[in-house]
Amino acid sequence: MSFDPATIAAYVDGELDDLTARRIKREAGSDAGLAAEIARNRELRAQLTAHFAPVIEEVVPERLRALLVETNVDTSLAARRETKRLRFAPIHWATIAASLVLGLTIGLKPWMPVADVTNANGTLVASGALAEALDTQLASNQPADATVRIGLSFRNRDGRTCRSFEGRGLAGIGCHEGGRWRLERTMGGTAQGEYRQAASGALAADAAAMMAGEPFDAAAERAARRRGWTD
Amino acid sequence: MRFEEELVQLLPRLRRFARGLARNVSDADDLCQAAIERALKSREQWQQGTRLDSWMYRITRNLWIDERRAAGRRGVHAPIDEAVTQIAGEGAAEVEAGAMRGDVDGAMAHLPDEQREVVMLILVEGYAYREAAEILEVPIGTVTSRLARGRETLMHLLGEAA
Repeated sequence: MSFDPATIAAYVDGELDDLTARRIKREAGSDAGLAAEIARNRELRAQLTAHFAPVIEEVVPERLRALLVETNVDTSLAARRETKRLRFAPIHWATIAASLVLGLTIGLKPWMPVADVTNANGTLVASGALAEALDTQLASNQPADATVRIGLSFRNRDGRTCRSFEGRGLAGIGCHEGGRWRLERTMGGTAQGEYRQAASGALAADAAAMMAGEPFDAAAERAARRRGWTD
Repeated sequence: MRFEEELVQLLPRLRRFARGLARNVSDADDLCQAAIERALKSREQWQQGTRLDSWMYRITRNLWIDERRAAGRRGVHAPIDEAVTQIAGEGAAEVEAGAMRGDVDGAMAHLPDEQREVVMLILVEGYAYREAAEILEVPIGTVTSRLARGRETLMHLLGEAA
Protein backbone atom coordinates (compact mmCIF):
# COMPACT_ATOMS: atom_id res chain seq x y z
CA MET A 1 0.00 0.00 0.00
CA SER A 2 1.55 3.28 -1.06
CA PHE A 3 -0.64 5.62 1.00
CA ASP A 4 -0.22 6.37 4.68
CA PRO A 5 -3.20 6.10 7.06
CA ALA A 6 -3.60 9.89 7.27
CA THR A 7 -3.94 10.17 3.51
CA ILE A 8 -6.47 7.36 3.39
CA ALA A 9 -8.46 9.01 6.17
CA ALA A 10 -8.28 12.34 4.36
CA TYR A 11 -9.58 10.61 1.25
CA VAL A 12 -12.60 9.30 3.16
CA ASP A 13 -13.11 12.74 4.73
CA GLY A 14 -13.12 14.38 1.30
CA GLU A 15 -10.03 16.43 2.13
CA LEU A 16 -7.73 15.40 -0.72
CA ASP A 17 -7.12 17.24 -3.94
CA ASP A 18 -8.83 15.71 -6.97
CA LEU A 19 -5.66 14.25 -8.42
CA THR A 20 -4.63 12.30 -5.31
CA ALA A 21 -8.21 11.25 -4.66
CA ARG A 22 -8.43 9.76 -8.14
CA ARG A 23 -5.15 7.93 -7.67
CA ILE A 24 -6.36 6.35 -4.43
CA LYS A 25 -9.63 5.35 -6.01
CA ARG A 26 -7.85 3.74 -8.92
CA GLU A 27 -5.34 1.87 -6.79
CA ALA A 28 -8.04 0.65 -4.41
CA GLY A 29 -9.43 -1.27 -7.39
CA SER A 30 -6.38 -3.51 -7.42
CA ASP A 31 -5.08 -3.20 -3.86
CA ALA A 32 -7.27 -5.16 -1.44
CA GLY A 33 -5.40 -3.83 1.59
CA LEU A 34 -6.04 -0.25 0.55
CA ALA A 35 -9.70 -0.98 -0.24
CA ALA A 36 -10.14 -2.57 3.19
CA GLU A 37 -8.55 0.42 4.89
CA ILE A 38 -10.90 2.78 3.08
CA ALA A 39 -13.87 0.62 4.04
CA ARG A 40 -12.75 0.59 7.66
CA ASN A 41 -12.59 4.38 7.75
CA ARG A 42 -15.95 4.72 6.07
CA GLU A 43 -17.46 2.27 8.47
CA LEU A 44 -16.31 4.34 11.43
CA ARG A 45 -17.80 7.53 10.00
CA ALA A 46 -21.06 5.76 9.30
CA GLN A 47 -21.17 4.23 12.75
CA LEU A 48 -20.57 7.55 14.51
CA THR A 49 -23.05 9.40 12.31
CA ALA A 50 -25.73 6.79 12.92
CA HIS A 51 -25.06 6.81 16.64
CA PHE A 52 -25.49 10.55 17.09
CA ALA A 53 -28.17 11.13 14.44
CA PRO A 54 -31.15 10.50 16.76
CA VAL A 55 -30.17 13.51 18.89
CA ILE A 56 -31.19 15.75 16.00
CA GLU A 57 -34.70 14.28 16.05
CA GLU A 58 -35.18 14.78 19.78
CA VAL A 59 -37.48 17.51 20.99
CA VAL A 60 -35.31 20.34 22.22
CA PRO A 61 -35.90 20.75 25.96
CA GLU A 62 -38.06 23.70 26.87
CA ARG A 63 -35.39 25.11 29.17
CA LEU A 64 -33.11 25.65 26.16
CA ARG A 65 -35.76 26.99 23.80
CA ALA A 66 -37.09 29.30 26.48
CA LEU A 67 -33.77 31.14 26.52
CA LEU A 68 -34.33 32.15 22.92
CA VAL A 69 -38.07 32.32 22.46
CA GLU A 70 -40.33 34.67 24.39
CA THR A 71 -41.57 32.91 27.46
CA ASN A 72 -45.29 33.60 27.21
CA VAL A 73 -45.34 31.51 24.05
CA ASP A 74 -43.36 28.80 25.75
CA THR A 75 -45.69 28.59 28.66
CA SER A 76 -48.67 28.04 26.45
CA LEU A 77 -46.73 25.49 24.39
CA ALA A 78 -45.90 23.58 27.51
CA ALA A 79 -49.52 23.78 28.55
CA ARG A 80 -50.58 22.53 25.15
CA ARG A 81 -48.20 19.60 25.22
CA GLU A 82 -49.55 18.69 28.60
CA THR A 83 -53.14 18.78 27.40
CA LYS A 84 -52.21 16.92 24.24
CA ARG A 85 -50.53 14.27 26.33
CA LEU A 86 -53.70 13.73 28.26
CA ARG A 87 -55.51 13.31 24.94
CA PHE A 88 -59.21 13.36 24.76
CA ALA A 89 -60.92 10.67 26.70
CA PRO A 90 -64.72 10.90 26.41
CA ILE A 91 -64.82 12.58 29.77
CA HIS A 92 -62.75 15.43 28.33
CA TRP A 93 -65.21 15.96 25.52
CA ALA A 94 -68.00 16.04 28.05
CA THR A 95 -66.11 18.60 30.09
CA ILE A 96 -65.39 20.69 27.05
CA ALA A 97 -69.00 20.57 25.92
CA ALA A 98 -70.15 21.53 29.37
CA SER A 99 -67.68 24.37 29.58
CA LEU A 100 -68.83 25.58 26.17
CA VAL A 101 -72.40 25.78 27.31
CA LEU A 102 -71.32 27.37 30.52
CA GLY A 103 -68.94 29.63 28.65
CA LEU A 104 -71.57 30.84 26.27
CA THR A 105 -73.85 31.58 29.15
CA ILE A 106 -71.21 33.39 31.14
CA GLY A 107 -69.34 34.83 28.20
CA LEU A 108 -72.25 36.55 26.61
CA LYS A 109 -73.70 38.09 29.68
CA PRO A 110 -76.28 40.59 28.49
CA TRP A 111 -75.03 43.19 30.96
CA MET A 112 -71.46 43.06 29.63
CA PRO A 113 -70.39 45.37 26.79
CA VAL A 114 -71.00 43.48 23.58
CA ALA A 115 -68.99 45.69 21.27
CA ASP A 116 -66.33 43.00 20.79
CA VAL A 117 -68.64 40.45 19.20
CA THR A 118 -70.95 40.80 16.24
CA ASN A 119 -73.48 38.44 14.80
CA ALA A 120 -72.86 38.02 11.10
CA ASN A 121 -75.38 35.82 9.30
CA GLY A 122 -75.91 33.70 12.33
CA THR A 123 -72.24 33.27 13.26
CA LEU A 124 -70.31 35.10 15.91
CA VAL A 125 -67.42 37.17 14.66
CA ALA A 126 -64.97 39.38 16.52
CA SER A 127 -65.30 43.11 16.25
CA GLY A 128 -63.92 46.19 17.92
CA ALA A 129 -60.98 45.77 20.26
CA LEU A 130 -61.11 41.98 20.05
CA ALA A 131 -60.89 42.01 16.24
CA GLU A 132 -58.05 44.47 16.45
CA ALA A 133 -56.17 42.33 18.97
CA LEU A 134 -56.64 39.22 16.84
CA ASP A 135 -55.50 41.12 13.75
CA THR A 136 -52.47 42.82 15.17
CA GLN A 137 -51.32 41.50 18.53
CA LEU A 138 -48.47 38.98 18.72
CA ALA A 139 -48.47 36.49 21.56
CA SER A 140 -44.72 36.80 21.63
CA ASN A 141 -44.85 40.54 22.16
CA GLN A 142 -47.88 41.85 23.93
CA PRO A 143 -48.15 44.52 26.58
CA ALA A 144 -48.53 43.20 30.10
CA ASP A 145 -51.70 45.23 30.57
CA ALA A 146 -53.33 44.29 27.24
CA THR A 147 -57.12 44.03 27.56
CA VAL A 148 -57.13 41.01 25.31
CA ARG A 149 -54.33 38.49 25.59
CA ILE A 150 -53.52 36.27 22.67
CA GLY A 151 -52.61 32.68 23.52
CA LEU A 152 -51.88 30.21 20.77
CA SER A 153 -51.92 30.79 17.05
CA PHE A 154 -52.20 27.74 14.86
CA ARG A 155 -53.59 26.29 11.68
CA ASN A 156 -56.73 24.22 12.08
CA ARG A 157 -57.64 21.11 10.13
CA ASP A 158 -59.40 23.16 7.45
CA GLY A 159 -56.22 25.14 6.88
CA ARG A 160 -57.53 28.32 8.48
CA THR A 161 -55.46 30.32 10.93
CA CYS A 162 -56.92 30.33 14.41
CA ARG A 163 -55.94 32.20 17.56
CA SER A 164 -56.99 31.70 21.12
CA PHE A 165 -57.61 34.78 23.23
CA GLU A 166 -58.60 35.79 26.72
CA GLY A 167 -60.28 39.08 27.51
CA ARG A 168 -62.00 40.42 30.56
CA GLY A 169 -65.49 39.42 29.48
CA LEU A 170 -64.84 36.75 26.93
CA ALA A 171 -62.28 34.12 26.05
CA GLY A 172 -62.29 31.80 23.09
CA ILE A 173 -60.80 30.84 19.77
CA GLY A 174 -61.26 32.81 16.58
CA CYS A 175 -60.53 31.43 13.13
CA HIS A 176 -59.80 33.73 10.22
CA GLU A 177 -62.37 33.47 7.47
CA GLY A 178 -63.38 35.96 4.82
CA GLY A 179 -61.34 38.71 6.41
CA ARG A 180 -63.00 38.31 9.81
CA TRP A 181 -62.41 36.27 12.94
CA ARG A 182 -65.16 33.76 13.30
CA LEU A 183 -65.50 32.74 16.94
CA GLU A 184 -65.41 28.98 17.01
CA ARG A 185 -65.16 28.68 20.78
CA THR A 186 -66.26 31.11 23.42
CA MET A 187 -66.29 31.03 27.17
CA GLY A 188 -66.17 33.38 30.12
CA GLY A 189 -63.15 35.65 30.09
CA THR A 190 -60.46 36.24 32.65
CA ALA A 191 -61.61 35.70 36.16
CA GLN A 192 -59.62 35.14 39.29
CA GLY A 193 -57.85 32.08 40.62
CA GLU A 194 -59.07 28.58 40.00
CA TYR A 195 -61.80 29.47 37.57
CA ARG A 196 -59.31 31.24 35.39
CA GLN A 197 -57.03 28.22 35.35
CA ALA A 198 -59.91 25.96 34.45
CA ALA A 199 -60.93 28.26 31.62
CA SER A 200 -57.37 28.46 30.24
CA GLY A 201 -57.02 24.70 30.43
CA ALA A 202 -60.27 24.13 28.57
CA LEU A 203 -59.23 26.64 25.93
CA ALA A 204 -55.85 24.98 25.47
CA ALA A 205 -57.59 21.61 25.18
CA ASP A 206 -59.94 23.00 22.55
CA ALA A 207 -57.03 24.49 20.64
CA ALA A 208 -55.15 21.20 20.77
CA ALA A 209 -58.20 19.40 19.39
CA MET A 210 -58.60 21.85 16.50
CA MET A 211 -54.95 22.07 15.63
CA ALA A 212 -53.25 20.54 12.59
CA GLY A 213 -49.55 20.23 13.38
CA GLU A 214 -47.74 22.43 15.86
CA PRO A 215 -48.77 25.86 17.09
CA PHE A 216 -46.93 28.81 15.56
CA ASP A 217 -43.73 29.89 17.19
CA ALA A 218 -42.90 33.58 17.39
CA ALA A 219 -41.49 33.69 13.84
CA ALA A 220 -44.41 31.83 12.28
CA GLU A 221 -46.86 34.03 14.12
CA ARG A 222 -45.20 37.14 12.80
CA ALA A 223 -45.09 35.75 9.27
CA ALA A 224 -48.78 34.85 9.45
CA ARG A 225 -49.63 38.39 10.51
CA ARG A 226 -47.61 39.72 7.57
CA ARG A 227 -49.73 37.56 5.25
CA GLY A 228 -52.90 38.92 6.80
CA TRP A 229 -53.62 35.56 8.50
CA THR A 230 -54.45 33.93 5.20
CA ASP A 231 -52.48 31.21 3.51
CA MET B 1 -33.11 36.19 10.39
CA ARG B 2 -32.89 37.27 13.98
CA PHE B 3 -29.96 36.15 16.07
CA GLU B 4 -32.23 34.20 18.43
CA GLU B 5 -34.06 32.48 15.59
CA GLU B 6 -30.79 31.33 14.06
CA LEU B 7 -29.75 29.97 17.42
CA VAL B 8 -33.03 28.09 17.80
CA GLN B 9 -32.37 26.42 14.46
CA LEU B 10 -28.88 25.49 15.58
CA LEU B 11 -30.04 23.90 18.81
CA PRO B 12 -30.47 20.30 17.58
CA ARG B 13 -26.94 20.24 16.12
CA LEU B 14 -25.48 21.94 19.13
CA ARG B 15 -27.10 19.38 21.39
CA ARG B 16 -25.60 16.60 19.31
CA PHE B 17 -22.14 18.12 19.57
CA ALA B 18 -22.55 18.62 23.32
CA ARG B 19 -23.76 15.04 23.69
CA GLY B 20 -20.51 13.81 22.18
CA LEU B 21 -18.46 15.97 24.51
CA ALA B 22 -20.33 15.63 27.77
CA ARG B 23 -21.39 12.00 27.43
CA ASN B 24 -24.70 12.21 29.23
CA VAL B 25 -27.91 13.99 28.34
CA SER B 26 -28.29 16.33 31.29
CA ASP B 27 -24.64 17.41 31.34
CA ALA B 28 -24.85 18.00 27.59
CA ASP B 29 -27.95 20.14 27.92
CA ASP B 30 -26.38 22.04 30.81
CA LEU B 31 -23.48 22.74 28.50
CA CYS B 32 -25.84 23.91 25.74
CA GLN B 33 -27.65 26.14 28.19
CA ALA B 34 -24.42 27.73 29.35
CA ALA B 35 -23.36 28.22 25.73
CA ILE B 36 -26.63 29.92 24.79
CA GLU B 37 -26.44 32.19 27.81
CA ARG B 38 -22.87 33.07 26.95
CA ALA B 39 -23.81 33.73 23.31
CA LEU B 40 -26.69 36.00 24.28
CA LYS B 41 -24.45 37.91 26.65
CA SER B 42 -21.66 38.40 24.15
CA ARG B 43 -23.70 38.60 20.96
CA GLU B 44 -22.00 41.83 19.92
CA GLN B 45 -18.76 39.86 19.62
CA TRP B 46 -20.23 37.79 16.86
CA GLN B 47 -19.42 39.41 13.53
CA GLN B 48 -22.36 39.64 11.20
CA GLY B 49 -21.63 37.75 8.01
CA THR B 50 -19.45 35.15 9.68
CA ARG B 51 -20.80 31.74 10.48
CA LEU B 52 -22.89 31.64 13.60
CA ASP B 53 -22.59 27.86 13.85
CA SER B 54 -18.78 27.92 14.07
CA TRP B 55 -18.97 30.66 16.66
CA MET B 56 -21.45 28.67 18.74
CA TYR B 57 -19.41 25.49 18.51
CA ARG B 58 -16.37 27.42 19.68
CA ILE B 59 -18.25 28.86 22.66
CA THR B 60 -19.63 25.43 23.55
CA ARG B 61 -16.28 23.76 23.28
CA ASN B 62 -14.48 26.45 25.29
CA LEU B 63 -17.04 26.26 28.07
CA TRP B 64 -16.67 22.51 28.14
CA ILE B 65 -12.87 22.77 28.33
CA ASP B 66 -13.19 25.31 31.16
CA GLU B 67 -15.50 22.97 32.99
CA ARG B 68 -13.16 20.02 32.50
CA ARG B 69 -10.20 22.03 33.71
CA ALA B 70 -12.11 23.15 36.78
CA ALA B 71 -13.14 19.54 37.43
CA GLY B 72 -9.51 18.52 36.96
CA ARG B 73 -8.40 21.03 39.57
CA ARG B 74 -10.99 19.61 41.93
CA GLY B 75 -9.49 16.21 41.27
CA VAL B 76 -12.56 14.93 39.45
CA HIS B 77 -10.74 14.33 36.23
CA ALA B 78 -7.21 14.47 34.92
CA PRO B 79 -6.32 17.90 33.55
CA ILE B 80 -6.23 18.42 29.84
CA ASP B 81 -2.64 18.29 28.98
CA GLU B 82 -1.04 17.06 25.82
CA ALA B 83 1.35 14.68 27.59
CA VAL B 84 -1.26 13.27 29.92
CA THR B 85 -3.91 12.78 27.26
CA GLN B 86 -1.48 11.15 24.91
CA ILE B 87 -0.73 8.55 27.50
CA ALA B 88 -4.45 8.07 28.07
CA GLY B 89 -4.85 7.59 24.31
CA GLU B 90 -2.18 4.96 24.21
CA GLY B 91 -3.70 3.29 27.22
CA ALA B 92 -7.00 3.12 25.43
CA ALA B 93 -5.40 1.53 22.42
CA GLU B 94 -4.20 -1.32 24.58
CA VAL B 95 -7.75 -2.39 25.21
CA GLU B 96 -8.49 -5.48 23.22
CA ALA B 97 -9.51 -4.84 19.66
CA GLY B 98 -13.25 -4.94 19.17
CA ALA B 99 -13.79 -4.90 22.93
CA MET B 100 -16.42 -2.21 22.63
CA ARG B 101 -18.05 -3.32 19.45
CA GLY B 102 -21.22 -1.32 18.94
CA ASP B 103 -20.66 0.71 22.10
CA VAL B 104 -19.89 4.06 20.55
CA ASP B 105 -20.36 5.97 23.81
CA GLY B 106 -18.00 3.62 25.62
CA ALA B 107 -15.39 3.90 22.90
CA MET B 108 -15.71 7.68 22.74
CA ALA B 109 -15.24 7.83 26.50
CA HIS B 110 -11.82 6.25 26.02
CA LEU B 111 -10.67 9.19 23.93
CA PRO B 112 -8.85 12.08 25.51
CA ASP B 113 -11.00 15.22 25.38
CA GLU B 114 -8.92 16.89 22.68
CA GLN B 115 -9.36 13.91 20.37
CA ARG B 116 -13.04 13.54 21.13
CA GLU B 117 -13.83 17.10 20.14
CA VAL B 118 -11.99 16.72 16.84
CA VAL B 119 -13.76 13.43 16.13
CA MET B 120 -17.13 15.05 16.86
CA LEU B 121 -16.48 18.11 14.70
CA ILE B 122 -15.16 16.26 11.68
CA LEU B 123 -16.66 12.79 11.69
CA VAL B 124 -20.06 13.63 13.21
CA GLU B 125 -20.71 17.30 12.54
CA GLY B 126 -19.08 17.10 9.12
CA TYR B 127 -16.73 20.07 9.32
CA ALA B 128 -13.71 20.28 7.08
CA TYR B 129 -10.30 20.01 8.74
CA ARG B 130 -9.70 23.72 8.20
CA GLU B 131 -13.08 24.65 9.71
CA ALA B 132 -12.46 22.45 12.73
CA ALA B 133 -9.05 24.06 13.20
CA GLU B 134 -10.69 27.49 13.18
CA ILE B 135 -13.33 26.46 15.69
CA LEU B 136 -10.72 24.98 18.01
CA GLU B 137 -8.20 27.74 17.28
CA VAL B 138 -5.35 25.32 16.70
CA PRO B 139 -3.17 24.69 13.65
CA ILE B 140 -4.60 22.33 11.04
CA GLY B 141 -1.70 19.90 11.64
CA THR B 142 -2.82 19.56 15.25
CA VAL B 143 -6.32 18.72 14.08
CA THR B 144 -5.15 16.04 11.67
CA SER B 145 -2.85 14.36 14.18
CA ARG B 146 -5.50 14.35 16.92
CA LEU B 147 -8.03 13.04 14.44
CA ALA B 148 -5.68 10.27 13.33
CA ARG B 149 -5.07 9.14 16.90
CA GLY B 150 -8.73 9.33 17.86
CA ARG B 151 -9.80 7.54 14.77
CA GLU B 152 -7.31 4.75 15.23
CA THR B 153 -8.43 4.18 18.82
CA LEU B 154 -12.09 4.14 17.83
CA MET B 155 -11.61 1.74 14.94
CA HIS B 156 -9.60 -0.49 17.18
CA LEU B 157 -12.18 -0.51 19.97
CA LEU B 158 -15.28 -0.65 17.86
CA GLY B 159 -14.48 -3.68 15.94
CA GLU B 160 -11.70 -4.63 13.71
CA ALA B 161 -11.48 -7.96 15.48
CA ALA B 162 -13.88 -9.56 13.06
